[in-house]
Amino acid sequence: MKLKKVISTLLLAAMVLGIVACGKKGDDKGANTNNAEKQTETNDNKEANTEDSDAKEEEKLDYTFGLNTTFHSDEPITYSMMYSDHEVYPYKEDWRLWSAITERSNVSFDLNLIARADYDDKKSLLINAGEASYIIPKTYDESAFVTGGAVLPVSDWVQYMPNYMNFVETYHMEDDLKTIVKSDGKYYKLPGMWEAPAGTGSEYTLVVRKDIFDAAGVDVTALEKDWNWDDFYNALLKVQQYVGGGVIWSDRWKGDALLNIVGQTYDIPAGWAAGDGMQYDPASDSWYFAETSEDYKAFVTLMSKFIKSGIMDSETFTQEDTVAENKFYTGETLLLGSNRSMLQTYKDKMNETLGEGKYELYSIVIPKAKNNYQIANSRLENGIMIASKALDELGEDGLIKMLRFIDWLWYSDEGKDLVRWGVEGETYTKENGVYKLNPEITYVGLNPGAPKALNVDYGFGNGVFMYGGTQEHAASMLSDDLKEFFERLNSYRDIKPLNPTVVFDEDQQEEMNLIKTPLIDYVKSATLKFITGQADIEKDWDKYVANCEANNSQRYVDMYNETYNSQK
Amino acid sequence: MKESRGYKIFKVFNTILMIIVVLLTLYPFLYLVAQSFSSEAAIYSGKVTFFPVDFNIDTYKSIIRQGDFIGYYKNTILYAISGTIISLFGTAILAYPLSKPYLRLNKFFTPFVIFTMYFGGGLIPNFVLVNALGLRNTIWAMLIPGAISTYFVLLMKAFFANLPQELEEAAAIDGMGTFGIFTKIVLPLSKPIMSTMVLFYASGLWGNWFTPFIYFDKKELWPVALYLRQIIYGAQSTNELSAGFEETAGIAASVKSASMVLMALPIICVYPFIQKYFVQGMMLGSVKG
Amino acid sequence: MKGSKKKEQVQLLQGAKTPIMVHIKRYWKLYAFLIIPVVYYILFKYLPMAGNIIAFRKYRAGSNIFGDEWSGLKYFRQFMRDNTFWNAFRNTLTINFTYLLFRFPMTIIFALLLNEVKNVHWKKFVQTVSYLPHFISVVIVCGMVKELLSVNGPINGLIKSLGHEAIPFIQLPEWFLTIFVTSGIWQALGWGTILYLAAMSGINVELYDAAKVDGANRFRQVWHVTIPGILPTITTIMILDIGSIMGSGGVFEKIMMLYNPMTYETADVISTYVYRMGVGSGNYSYATAVGLFEGVIGLILVTSANIISRKLTKQSLW
Repeated sequence: MKLKKVISTLLLAAMVLGIVACGKKGDDKGANTNNAEKQTETNDNKEANTEDSDAKEEEKLDYTFGLNTTFHSDEPITYSMMYSDHEVYPYKEDWRLWSAITERSNVSFDLNLIARADYDDKKSLLINAGEASYIIPKTYDESAFVTGGAVLPVSDWVQYMPNYMNFVETYHMEDDLKTIVKSDGKYYKLPGMWEAPAGTGSEYTLVVRKDIFDAAGVDVTALEKDWNWDDFYNALLKVQQYVGGGVIWSDRWKGDALLNIVGQTYDIPAGWAAGDGMQYDPASDSWYFAETSEDYKAFVTLMSKFIKSGIMDSETFTQEDTVAENKFYTGETLLLGSNRSMLQTYKDKMNETLGEGKYELYSIVIPKAKNNYQIANSRLENGIMIASKALDELGEDGLIKMLRFIDWLWYSDEGKDLVRWGVEGETYTKENGVYKLNPEITYVGLNPGAPKALNVDYGFGNGVFMYGGTQEHAASMLSDDLKEFFERLNSYRDIKPLNPTVVFDEDQQEEMNLIKTPLIDYVKSATLKFITGQADIEKDWDKYVANCEANNSQRYVDMYNETYNSQK
Repeated sequence: MKESRGYKIFKVFNTILMIIVVLLTLYPFLYLVAQSFSSEAAIYSGKVTFFPVDFNIDTYKSIIRQGDFIGYYKNTILYAISGTIISLFGTAILAYPLSKPYLRLNKFFTPFVIFTMYFGGGLIPNFVLVNALGLRNTIWAMLIPGAISTYFVLLMKAFFANLPQELEEAAAIDGMGTFGIFTKIVLPLSKPIMSTMVLFYASGLWGNWFTPFIYFDKKELWPVALYLRQIIYGAQSTNELSAGFEETAGIAASVKSASMVLMALPIICVYPFIQKYFVQGMMLGSVKG
Repeated sequence: MKGSKKKEQVQLLQGAKTPIMVHIKRYWKLYAFLIIPVVYYILFKYLPMAGNIIAFRKYRAGSNIFGDEWSGLKYFRQFMRDNTFWNAFRNTLTINFTYLLFRFPMTIIFALLLNEVKNVHWKKFVQTVSYLPHFISVVIVCGMVKELLSVNGPINGLIKSLGHEAIPFIQLPEWFLTIFVTSGIWQALGWGTILYLAAMSGINVELYDAAKVDGANRFRQVWHVTIPGILPTITTIMILDIGSIMGSGGVFEKIMMLYNPMTYETADVISTYVYRMGVGSGNYSYATAVGLFEGVIGLILVTSANIISRKLTKQSLW
């Protein structure tokens, strides 16, 4: 009895303490937010009078900037930035990258170093605690930070960034940018912008052992232009027979990339792209839940055929990537998921296991089902968020200056060359628009075997800085076989038009998330069970559809369409 | 001493069981050791089972060369030693009074301590607090906020409570003060639990990557655990479809296993020295009034 | 139980009913020990608890850490009405309870058996080796588990050689619990014995001598001296472990690496579900509400365990 009393008193005390503390600090913070709001208002006013502010710009700036002009600050200046540290090329203070940036711009970074695997977690923590750095690069999903006010609506400020604006205009990025606009009509990150989707076209594909496919009488080069999944299936059966049966395919990324690739050809979101399972139907100009459609059934039926015939093992969906890779390296399996950078890794490893020249790898153009599209159609990639703190602490002019620095480093041709290739004459040469890495330096498939690495030893070719650009720029870094692959891909397959955008507000998002997570969990679980044969597609299909409906799929569709129609 | 037949059979059974345990726990570790001395090609073609294939120490060389491995190791040792001392002190001075049943306010203090095992503040408030106290990016962030583990306090309390009270009473009658009794009678009698706590706290600090990950922004302060996590996890949590143009190839398997070995080795080496404190019975005439 | 009688006498002598101020005055030196730890607890453990208020308030990342406006019990309602949450709740209890049920006695038995090993060097060797799994990172442990259980792995090799069909263990919901518990015991068995071994070495050797004089054989010595000697440790750990049955934070990482959509129905625990609900994307109010719910249940469990233990073994935490 006494104990209960003690505990309840304690609980009460804690609550009171909590509320009092909360009330107090809450008020303080509330005041801050108001200030911030006021400031944004003044900004809005300012934009309205951009013409006027041009006059202001003519006043002496303590830095140079502009389209095709190097950003240079008269005084040395330091900006704080979060840095996603890659374990393959861990941060070094004495990288040429840092000194090269400082030499040209007089800017140096105060870095918050975070290992890449945990980057998102720490980024989120720092923003939540109000301790964010000014520059927050490598942001894939900014939506959590939008309503809290900790991150600037950067779309209000892009007009000060000449290189950025130039790219948007030259390559007509307006529709792409609409995809990141939030419910207030603004966007909150400076995205990486490509001229072509994913730089050079969809990079995720399958790589096959061409030597063995050829020997089995399967000529992928002739087939791939127009093949569909049945042709592909029959080709694999032939190869399987040729090698005497058994599993010839054990895929990586827990099958998520594969499901994404295959699903896309059936017009359904799956695997990595599963999202909330919603698909746009241009014919009726409305959205539907694709995961219970007939297309979906066809998709899982196809996938289950690969398993049933013993071509693919069901471990694909559960094994670690290294296991899948090892099976491929030793010649046990004959095809494997791949992307731009994996291809080179595969070659390096197989030169060791099988020996150079004793195998041939070939990136295939993915078969078709319902459309003739590539997988990727987004020309945006991760982006840079700017902490609102930067505006508070640097003032408007200071912020604009920083943005112009960012504009130069991330968006100008000079900046792009610098972070990619390094310093001309020192690490690379450029003749007639062709970049050539110095012979003693290697980088993903370029100059294999050279003693120094562009990223490890110099800091260039760095994922934090290197993003977006023209097709030419993106292609310049590709090895020959990749260039050849993207040529094939782009001539055989089209780019899918962008879906119209639907933007939800905070409350809608909260409600939808409550439906989405259990629903998509269930879909993913059922999908894999259908594919691996734990569930029977014909017998259990109706039950599956009913369960999706029991999980509120219809309510979700309704919310989607209501909002979509109201925003049209 | 004569042994019954039953006891002899038991001993045979016991020995077999221990051998099984040793095999089950030692083999995976030896496998990691073997991997760490093998060539990468041998690992992914599945040739490594028990002995290294293509024996080499390149992996270790490259780990030690990469980053500032020696610096990280120094940090780890510093954190482990100073953190253990602080934790041990805090735990002992809390557990000792709590172990006295005649202290009436313990009816409040014990639940006061236990309550914190079930309700935490969450990451953000803790971060804000540590930041406000100015501990962020200092060694103290590693040592202070997590200094006392309630779980260990309660274990130590259980141990103290089980010590024979007669010795303390006798000392009190001899005129020894409370503090004297604690340091001269109780602590010497508590070597087994103290050495256990040293082991627990030290290994906890040794492997702690999370605290430094949260509070340290500069690599100079990183301990080995955080560096090794970076190597072992790599892209583990990255599942973005578009990784950009970055090289996404992971770290070699031999590097991962070598990291594990380097992580576990020091604790394994230190352990036998600590172990001697709880193999022998401590009471044996250690204190006479 | 001589000791406890003595204690009672002492207590009687000191007068349990003395006024509180007199009591404090008499023992102020002992209470003084508590000053630093109590300040520490208030500062680092109680103060941050104020952040839990966001379970009742709408929280926005980067705005106010105590939330922006009151939302009442909205976030509690959100998970209370969610069937998937209750499934995760059940799994949390099942997984933790089964794990405890096997690990707890096995650790004690292993400690007792280890204590019977007479060759000091062999004993030290077994002990040290049995701790090794504790130091192997969860990623690597899970990688090994998956390799061991893969369709072409050694265990399925055995099954196939016996003429059965290979079992895709990792993909079958019914196997998850077994895999989790077995690998968990492998990880924790050796390390878990440390506390018991420490407690055993705290036992007065004279008690064993007395038992021997009374003619007790080895088994009786264990039963009458060793086990009573480590009983306080056993009950402490038992009570605390029962209190943590509701917690799923400790198993989060391992489950994340061992489960997959096919095994969600048996493998999904509260922490993994909350993770998928998007704590990463900032749903902190929801996560905090779930955390408070877990905490309340944990507190109820530990209090009940403590009361039961006091009744049954006369040992208790408080």
